[in-house]
Amino acid sequence: MIMAGENEYGKEGAAGRRKVGVYVCHCGGNISDHVDVGEVCRRIEKIPGVTSVQNNVFMCSDPGQELIMKDIRSGAADRVVVASCAPNLHEATFRNAISRAGGNPYIYEHANIREQVSWVHHGAAATEKAIRLIAAAAAKAERLEPLTPIRLEALRHATVVGGGIAGLKAAIDLAKRGVEVAIIETSPFLGGRAAQLDRLAPSGESAAQVISELAGRVLNHKSITVHTCARIRTYQGYIGNFRIGIGREAPGGSGEWNESGKKDKPAPARGEFVPFAGVYAGEVLEIPEEFSIDTGIILLATGFKPYEPRRGEYGYKEFEGVVTLPEFIKMLALAGRGGDTLEIGGRQIKSVAMIHCVGSRMIPGIHEEDENGRLNEYCSRTCCTATLQTATTIRKTWPRTNVFEFYRDIRTYGRGQEELYAEAARASVMFLRFDPEEPPVVGKSEDNDGYALYARVKDKLTFGEEILAPVDLVVLSAGMEPNDVSDMVAMMKLPVGADRFLQEVHPKLRPVELSVAGILLAGTCQAPMDTGEACAAASAAAVKASAVLSRGYVELDPFVAEVDGDKCRGTGACVQACLKEGALELVETLDGGEKALRAQVNAAFCIGCGACAAVCPEGAINVKGWTLNQYEAMLDAIVSDDLFEEERPHATAG
Amino acid sequence: MESGVKKFDALVLGGGIAGLEAALNLAELNFSVAVVEKDASIGGKMIRLSKVFPTLDCASCITTPKMAAAAHHNNITLFTYCDLVSLSRNGRGLRAQIRQKPRYVDADKCIGCRQCEYACPVYVSDPEQGDFAARKAVYIPFSNAIPQIALIDTQNCMLCGKCEKVCPTGAVDYLQAPQDFTIESKTAVIATGFDVTPVENKPLYGAGKIPNVITALQMERLLAPHGPYNRVLRPSDGKLPDSVAYIQCAGSRDQTTGIPYCSRVCCMYAIKQAMLLSGSLPLADITIYYIDIRAFGKGYEQFYQNAAAMGIQFVKAKPVIVGSGEGGGVVLRYEAQEDGGRIVTAEHDLVVLSLGLVPGRAPGERAAAPTGPDGFIAVPRPRTAPAVTEVEGVFVAGTACGPKDIVDTIAEAGAAAMEASNYLRE
Repeated sequence: MIMAGENEYGKEGAAGRRKVGVYVCHCGGNISDHVDVGEVCRRIEKIPGVTSVQNNVFMCSDPGQELIMKDIRSGAADRVVVASCAPNLHEATFRNAISRAGGNPYIYEHANIREQVSWVHHGAAATEKAIRLIAAAAAKAERLEPLTPIRLEALRHATVVGGGIAGLKAAIDLAKRGVEVAIIETSPFLGGRAAQLDRLAPSGESAAQVISELAGRVLNHKSITVHTCARIRTYQGYIGNFRIGIGREAPGGSGEWNESGKKDKPAPARGEFVPFAGVYAGEVLEIPEEFSIDTGIILLATGFKPYEPRRGEYGYKEFEGVVTLPEFIKMLALAGRGGDTLEIGGRQIKSVAMIHCVGSRMIPGIHEEDENGRLNEYCSRTCCTATLQTATTIRKTWPRTNVFEFYRDIRTYGRGQEELYAEAARASVMFLRFDPEEPPVVGKSEDNDGYALYARVKDKLTFGEEILAPVDLVVLSAGMEPNDVSDMVAMMKLPVGADRFLQEVHPKLRPVELSVAGILLAGTCQAPMDTGEACAAASAAAVKASAVLSRGYVELDPFVAEVDGDKCRGTGACVQACLKEGALELVETLDGGEKALRAQVNAAFCIGCGACAAVCPEGAINVKGWTLNQYEAMLDAIVSDDLFEEERPHATAG
Repeated sequence: MESGVKKFDALVLGGGIAGLEAALNLAELNFSVAVVEKDASIGGKMIRLSKVFPTLDCASCITTPKMAAAAHHNNITLFTYCDLVSLSRNGRGLRAQIRQKPRYVDADKCIGCRQCEYACPVYVSDPEQGDFAARKAVYIPFSNAIPQIALIDTQNCMLCGKCEKVCPTGAVDYLQAPQDFTIESKTAVIATGFDVTPVENKPLYGAGKIPNVITALQMERLLAPHGPYNRVLRPSDGKLPDSVAYIQCAGSRDQTTGIPYCSRVCCMYAIKQAMLLSGSLPLADITIYYIDIRAFGKGYEQFYQNAAAMGIQFVKAKPVIVGSGEGGGVVLRYEAQEDGGRIVTAEHDLVVLSLGLVPGRAPGERAAAPTGPDGFIAVPRPRTAPAVTEVEGVFVAGTACGPKDIVDTIAEAGAAAMEASNYLRE
């Protein structure tokens, strides 16, 4: 057995030619608290072909990377295995280190002994599994060949989907960097949801001014083209070279467009701000049209929609006088100033109840799921400040109108927000705190007290006292939900989180990228944000896009299918199995003077899934960096007990 | 001593996560960037943390690759252990006077072998480990510091000469003097970060004098996988704490400390630490005393609800620390708002103060751009240009312009780089 094992490793003449360096990370104690790193190193050293075994507290740190680089430079290793965390965190880090030392970055193999070992196993079993995984990685590493990344030209063009604050900001930033930009917006207006606000919290800038400024710059920039009433219908290609099909239609019958009075009034002028709709971006179509755009980067800024309370939720759509905060903001903006008491629609509003966390921070078992079984468990981040700002405005403008705020936690986290909270308190906004299990109850007033409604709550600030607030109006601080982009999610295969917002690759390492290369995200399609935060996210996405587009090319990992022309017989099985349209085709070639069909790979499209390799009857197709013989070597190593022989009693001597 | 003028496209002040992210973005756009860091290593506060919310990634795992990427980027030059003396206008660009503080070790000669550190006979309390462990008087700041260059702590060095003798490259230089130089750049990004509110200012929390009252940053070190004890122990006697309490808003939302604002990260870091504690001390009771729980970011509310479901106690109260209990515990007193308003006295083995964030400047140090009433860099157009300061061509990112978590800091650093790059193009 022992001899056979050694022969296994020594096969194919790999040992002696390839020198595998293995670098084991402690990850502080994340790994070494559960895996005996010393033992791992001792065993791995025995693998024929392994010429250097090192360990470090943090392999990803500079001193850790230096260990690898030193071995590459000195020739102590020409293949590298790092045993550390999941490869999505640091594979790129170590490939870069090898490059810096003058090696080919693809002679690298990663063994995940944190997520797959130390975080889920303990003791001797953890150490053994780590050894097996590393042995497998080393076996593969011995068979790795240097590869060259695929370099593709990138079009200096970006498409921004969504003409809200985030989309506008990103478009301006990109255009300033000399990138051609197309904005795809579904409505005839620019400005998005911010247009439905009056003043932006907490600093009180006019939403109209902010939108007009951004939209004005967009409309006047020669490098930005705005396509309104437009949607993405088709999508193909890859980072640097996407082609998207756009459909433009006559504006739909919904809200804003009708309100702006297309039928009765002349259309607004291009660049004109239409209250609660946004900046009109110019001519709309009578007849639908379709066209396509070639673009290098797609930046999604598809935004949010306010939560629509269910009928009967705090009396919504059940009692007159129960409205959402966006509805109320509009009423306030249209209400006449002057007088001590707020008047809406000729009705005096002496008292207002504002209820926080409507459609946010929902708790399973307490809150009712919607018809699709969904709950908005997240905090919508912006509603506390928006509610406080509205409450303060009421108190300051109409001092005889009282405001009661029913809240769970006041989340005035940002700069200037806590001050707004203090200001609201000074303006005698009444705060009542409720438990999610015992939310306020809104009802129709039965007393003849002159108020139409009441809001009743067990107030936790006064030790659970039952408090009834007689009110004329109940305002629900509705949270945010992501806009429905299911068509794009399906088309582009985008990841969506449990909260239904688009899911970035990593919140800290790659916060503005989606897992599809070349598709970025910004603003409230990612998570609730206020306008300033959405602008920061938009610029952050724009700077990443700029880096790709200003280089003029993109480099993709070369892990794509490769056809062995000598073995291929043109069965077409691979083309049938291929998951990515355009990645594999049969082409006519000359084989020994005769015409023959052979499989051909389009590397730019290939996603390296290996479906073709699995079906080829000739074994003529392989994924580079993941070949069948590499897999076999890994399997042999993982099941081999050679490294554990000494513990086992020797039944026979050979 | 003046030693020449160095020219760069962009100057980044601060080598924490905000500065590194901004520098990397600018460098990727092919601009030359100088990063000036006052500490002896880049990495900022983040590299000193244990794990980070809400993903519970280890902080080192996220920070070290960015540190290494910046250190090795052809377009980035790091100037560590340097103070900004002044920043002034130079035509359309800027001129920064920088002072290289003496390490008393020649940075060009030091190879980071630590022989000096091993030879040094002086043990000093190590602030990098929350003052819970010792380091030498000549030392490399921490294991994954960049650069790996030793420095001598002259406050504690007794000039025995041992380090000089063992240094294989003759790098120790007791006579090193500060060196002044000038960086001329076309634009700058301020990423000077934060400090925590001083505990001494708050007698109601014991003013730093009661044993087993520690700061949240100290707790980060206790929880860090490469921390001082390798586990969570009570500092006064090494006891495994059975009960740990957090006092939220200790130094924020508090007029008496002059810090009326919310520090934005404390709720989440306390919840994160509580979660990590329930891993390392499964039997301990963990209580968080709070005013409002502000779990507002992506995934944060769910993180908070998970913590509550795990049995972490959330008590709405603003306690004061009365003193020490008999067994070395910490005695608190508070009004139980959710329990009829009675006054409760409670004792915990260990109390953590969730200190707030203040601008990361030495007392009396001038900020590199005008500040707001809260002391953070002012941002005149926060809605549409959150990274633009009042000074033309000077941008800001991260906690330099207000308390902020890492996720928001990284977004803002991208924004600052974008603004700076567009300024460079204009």
